[in-house]
Amino acid sequence: MNVPLFSIIVVIYLLVIGFLGYLGFRRTKTTRDFMVAGRDIHPYVMALSYGATFISTSAIVGFGGAAGVLGMGLLWLTFLNIAVGIAIAFIFFGKRTRQMGVKLEAHTFPEFLGRRYDSKFIQVLGGVVIFAFMPIYTGVVLIGAARFIESTLNINFVLALAIFSIIIAAYVIAGGLKGVMYTDALQGTIMFIGMAVLMVLTYKALGGIVPAHQALTDLASKVPESLTAGGHLGWTTMPAMGSPIWWKLVSTIILGVGIGVLAQPQLVVRFMTVKSNKELNRAVLIGGIFILAMTGVAFVVGALTNVYFFNNTGNIAIAEAGGNTDLIIPTYINMAMPSWFVYIFMLTLLAAAMSTISSQFHALGTAFSRDMLRVGTAVSERDEKTGSGKGLLITKIGVIIGIILSVLLGYYLPISIIALGTALFFGVCAAVFLPMYVLGLYWKRTSKAAAISGMVVGLVASIFWMFFVHSETAKVLLVVNALFGKESLLGYPWNAIHPILIAFPLAFIVTIIVTLFTRPVKQEIIDKCFS
Amino acid sequence: MLGFAGVSALLAYLMTILSSVFCIVYGLVMWNKDK
Repeated sequence: MNVPLFSIIVVIYLLVIGFLGYLGFRRTKTTRDFMVAGRDIHPYVMALSYGATFISTSAIVGFGGAAGVLGMGLLWLTFLNIAVGIAIAFIFFGKRTRQMGVKLEAHTFPEFLGRRYDSKFIQVLGGVVIFAFMPIYTGVVLIGAARFIESTLNINFVLALAIFSIIIAAYVIAGGLKGVMYTDALQGTIMFIGMAVLMVLTYKALGGIVPAHQALTDLASKVPESLTAGGHLGWTTMPAMGSPIWWKLVSTIILGVGIGVLAQPQLVVRFMTVKSNKELNRAVLIGGIFILAMTGVAFVVGALTNVYFFNNTGNIAIAEAGGNTDLIIPTYINMAMPSWFVYIFMLTLLAAAMSTISSQFHALGTAFSRDMLRVGTAVSERDEKTGSGKGLLITKIGVIIGIILSVLLGYYLPISIIALGTALFFGVCAAVFLPMYVLGLYWKRTSKAAAISGMVVGLVASIFWMFFVHSETAKVLLVVNALFGKESLLGYPWNAIHPILIAFPLAFIVTIIVTLFTRPVKQEIIDKCFS
Repeated sequence: MLGFAGVSALLAYLMTILSSVFCIVYGLVMWNKDK
């Protein structure tokens, strides 16, 4: 790859990003602008921003590589990404969130929940959870992006990390959520073009859709023994039911979707950025196509790389990548794609990283100022004067603190903890937020005491299970070993069960049970929310 | 069918496309509705 040429492409891209950030800055005058983009965003921008925030480089490269090993069965995850992550999320969660969010004048997800249940505690604890757990998730994506820039542009890693963080911080701080969403829309567009072209070029290189699939089916005899022993039956069929590889595929899918996606603060806030349900209806169309082009393409291409590699080098994908699944997609791109596409793909990955990170930085900032410190919460949108200086300043300081935390965590924590970062954040969000969120949207009866109980139980159960029981996380976090000299306090199968599968149902049940014994929130709030 | 060995993975492929088609149809039907 021609590094100077790619550098020029990146500079042009960054100038356009800078312009969009500036546009956001010009149109950001109030807290409502900074936090919920003025509640007036175009559905194309909203849908692409949601999708681009949802999909980072790990979905394309990491999970795409996993498809190179596990095969087309991973497409069940794409199906769930679209059915749950877009359709169910927008139709059954988004519309009610938007309507209630306007009436409650909510500017963040914790504020939405806090006002629904008339509880400052919920808002503050929600903010604390986000501020405590999101930096590590952010750090994961940041480090990945910096490593990527280091290898493609030959820039020193620390310098890449610093420049990258500063550029994103600049348009988040200056442009608020408008700046973030405008840039997300451009990045999402680049991502869509990149992945669509990748799909077309791949099917073309392999002789067409059906011939490509057939060639992959015919390769089944080349699955290595280490995988067939685990139940792998080929790349165009699911593994043998109940086999270790089948469990690995199913748990990757279930946890990869993470019902946690429905309770991600940086995604939920986007439901509150549009002016009516009409925009959300339009966004469903755009979002459904977008996600198909993201993980749909990544997984089909990932699986098909086996055909390409076998035809050209005699190796299957994992062998060609030297045993490292993260290298399958990059190796394929470099080998199989025309050089002009390599530039497009690199830009696609850069866009995927930046769109996710900018949303994380923004969420961190608003969690700090609005939720933890509750700055500006006493002023209604109608009464707010333009240029609400102090509130916005504190939010911006929160963004900076969040960024510094994320960078430090990403840089200094061992790689084993970094690898857990995304799953930890998704899991904690699901257990802490999802029960009271879904019940709050649909069950008028859910009480404040119940919401708080569920939230606390979800948090405590998640942390306890992560640190003391789930051996995969507990042994990395080291506490259980230091205190008790073992990898887990419980035996099989408990120590193999992911924290989300324990904490989320527990929190849900507790929320329902406590509701039955306590009074619902004030009638005026119910009337406001459900009218 | 479509070059796949197993129904399960073929179904995943088709359901993925169908879910996207659902989103397109839903969006078109509800394009101007504020419901």
